[in-house]
Amino acid sequence: MQQWTKTGAAVALTAWAALAAAGSAVAGEFNKVVSIGDSMPEFTNLPTAGGGQISSADITEDVVVLVSLANHCPWVKGMDADMVKLASSFGGKSVRFVGLSFNHREDDRLPAMKTHAEKAGYPFKYAFDESQELGRALGATRTPEYFVFDSDRKLVYTGALYNSPAKIQSDGSVKYTRGEPTEFFVQDAVMATLAGDAVTLAETKAHGCTVKYQ
Amino acid sequence: MTLARGCCALMAATLLAACDTAQQPVEASTDSEAASAETIELVPVTHAQWSTTLADYQPNIVVVDMWATWCAPCVERFPKMVTLHERYANKGVTIVGMSLEDRDDAGAVAGAADFLVRQRARFPNFLMDENILDSFDKLDILGIPAVDIYDQRGKLRYRLTGDDPNNQFTDADIEEAIVSLLAET
Repeated sequence: MQQWTKTGAAVALTAWAALAAAGSAVAGEFNKVVSIGDSMPEFTNLPTAGGGQISSADITEDVVVLVSLANHCPWVKGMDADMVKLASSFGGKSVRFVGLSFNHREDDRLPAMKTHAEKAGYPFKYAFDESQELGRALGATRTPEYFVFDSDRKLVYTGALYNSPAKIQSDGSVKYTRGEPTEFFVQDAVMATLAGDAVTLAETKAHGCTVKYQ
Repeated sequence: MTLARGCCALMAATLLAACDTAQQPVEASTDSEAASAETIELVPVTHAQWSTTLADYQPNIVVVDMWATWCAPCVERFPKMVTLHERYANKGVTIVGMSLEDRDDAGAVAGAADFLVRQRARFPNFLMDENILDSFDKLDILGIPAVDIYDQRGKLRYRLTGDDPNNQFTDADIEEAIVSLLAET
């Protein structure tokens, strides 16, 4: 892989042919940082949209679902309702959803997060990672992008919600890009993990907006 | 994005700047050339057609900016592509815009075309005429912004993406790649 060094920092300039020749050095099939089986990164006192803070040590549920979100993103808006429905469906089960926002643009920060979470009816805490350290540790580059961890806090699934990502159209309607979803990746991963089974499909492409790291 | 209404909003493939400037301020350029005489096209292409079209630009260095109006970092970066066009067009470098707007969302396509006019993007601009997810799969990209840079022989030499949070590309990386390829000639 070709890299250019600029102001002391390694800057990614991928030489495509060289990459193909050298083979992929990525961690997962699609995620460049984490792979299935990796431990959940710890996080401490992230401020949340509803007030208060959240730390990884506070989470005691058997299954943890971290989801990378961005208020401004039409893909997030397109799938908000289905995400809320899914998170709500696990009521009474030992499952904890945590929404995460990493972008620094004003409409993705805490005040806008509060408004967005209330409007969308997020039934979980929605935390702002201003340092972007958690986002980097997760290799989170899209919104929405899901990370499911088991009771040992090992990654068992990462990627998309389902197989037909939805987006808000210019007229405000929601469109599933490949018709009604038929494969529900996150739901299946959570259910399998709760049952003590292996997750059949552990990594998919997370399609959506790109998280911008500073 | 605010769309130009009237004639412009209905013209998905070709927009006349005259339609736009009557209703929209030009934001991205200080160029005083009369916009009313300018035509900027957003040309639908299938992936198969694109492969053929791409080859037509040889022996130029080709910089393909994959973008969409729904992609905030793409919109923020776009003026840089216009600058690169102005700086390198006469040096054997072709900047190409490849929009990954949803082709079935007429309002979004019109918005993209309107955006190009306001940016004065006087270089080839295409709309991927595929299902939007198929577009990503066929272009073999995970997300946008993404920039592909082909050398004078049509070989893909650089793919710049935001796929790695610890190695996302910058505006400067695009120009450095161009300069590097120009130095090979």
